[in-house]
Amino acid sequence: MAKAALGLILFFTAFPLLAQKVQGELACRLTKTDFVYDCMIRISRGGQPLPGASVTLGADMPSMPMAHNVKPVKATPGKAPGEYAAKLDLEMPGEWAVKLRLRGPVNDQLILLYEFDEQGAQPVRRGGRLPRK
Amino acid sequence: MGVLTNIGLISFVALSAYLLILAGEMSFGQQGFFGVGAYTAGVATAMYGVPLPIAALMAMGAGAAAAFLVGLPTLRLRGLYFAMATLAAAEMLRIVFELIHFQREIDGEPVGPDGTQGFRGIRWVFENGVEREGYLAMVWGLLFVVVILFLIVERSKLGATLRMLGEDPELARMLGIHVERFKLGVVATAGALAALGGALYAHHNTYIEPRNFDIMLGVHSLAYALIGGLGTVFGPLLGVLIDIGALEGSRVFHGYRMIVFGGLVAVLLIFRPRGLLDERVVHWLKRRLA
Repeated sequence: MAKAALGLILFFTAFPLLAQKVQGELACRLTKTDFVYDCMIRISRGGQPLPGASVTLGADMPSMPMAHNVKPVKATPGKAPGEYAAKLDLEMPGEWAVKLRLRGPVNDQLILLYEFDEQGAQPVRRGGRLPRK
Repeated sequence: MGVLTNIGLISFVALSAYLLILAGEMSFGQQGFFGVGAYTAGVATAMYGVPLPIAALMAMGAGAAAAFLVGLPTLRLRGLYFAMATLAAAEMLRIVFELIHFQREIDGEPVGPDGTQGFRGIRWVFENGVEREGYLAMVWGLLFVVVILFLIVERSKLGATLRMLGEDPELARMLGIHVERFKLGVVATAGALAALGGALYAHHNTYIEPRNFDIMLGVHSLAYALIGGLGTVFGPLLGVLIDIGALEGSRVFHGYRMIVFGGLVAVLLIFRPRGLLDERVVHWLKRRLA
């Protein structure tokens, strides 16, 4: 009985954390190789960095789904908690939907829309506003 | 594994284009019904908690209904005019997707189609613990069922009628076949098939947006049937394997793939207008195997 009560308390204490949305953002810069970007990914949950996740990074061109996508690469943990680094080898500049597959503390997938060019990567603006992360 | 899933997903829309070619009609608009399926199934699972199998059936129904409504006026047209009309219909559908703003708050977050901002949070697969391998098996299992159904139909009287309709609709009419009604059925079935692919795509990607369903997908789906061949259901699958599996998967033509793909389509249309696995090759293969 006590164990069940403790379990319930733990569940309801953890529930708001479980329900909190995972968010991600990207900072990329072009390397010396054409279309290859060094990317730093920041993952957070409820505004707090999310360390210890296994992050796989892929990308798909929204205008040509399934046919224009890059091979997923595994990101390595960065210097700060919640930071992960990966090299993204794109086929061409333009708008890409970056797909972050998360395993570990969360099992989820985030899609981040970014415009890639010589400067790096900028979040895509549509209708004058940034898309939700 | 991602490439294998993509091959499976795009095969549905390629097969839907192939079905229409068999009936003598070229559609540049199957991506529209793929989109109808994606949005319908996404709304059903993400906004109303409907299980994916039921959502997929709903998507097929919506895809068939949309294709039926498009087919009703456009099947009066022939050849290039029908192709242009289907393209126009698909573009209209894409613009409708851009105009849809229909969201519900779930766990404090708005979920649902948000016009050009897209539709996020189609997470049925993650919420139900379906692993990537499991989803791949689901996609290929359904594709296997579809291919078996195609093979059964191709060997039946229905399949013979379908090919006759494609070859000579006047002869079919003289033999007592209601050509318009039959073609409308084919159009609706092809729409349902594309919509099933769309439903599976939306849940694989977790995010869809109107641009996913533009002309590029329609042109590719048609090209897969024309490259692979019109002699058998395995033709469009071969077309998908060549493009997604060999060209995209191997990354040999990194950045130049679309040029190679376009060139391949042009060369094949000149030298093998009915694709690699055309009726003659299929007949020869059948004789060899018998």
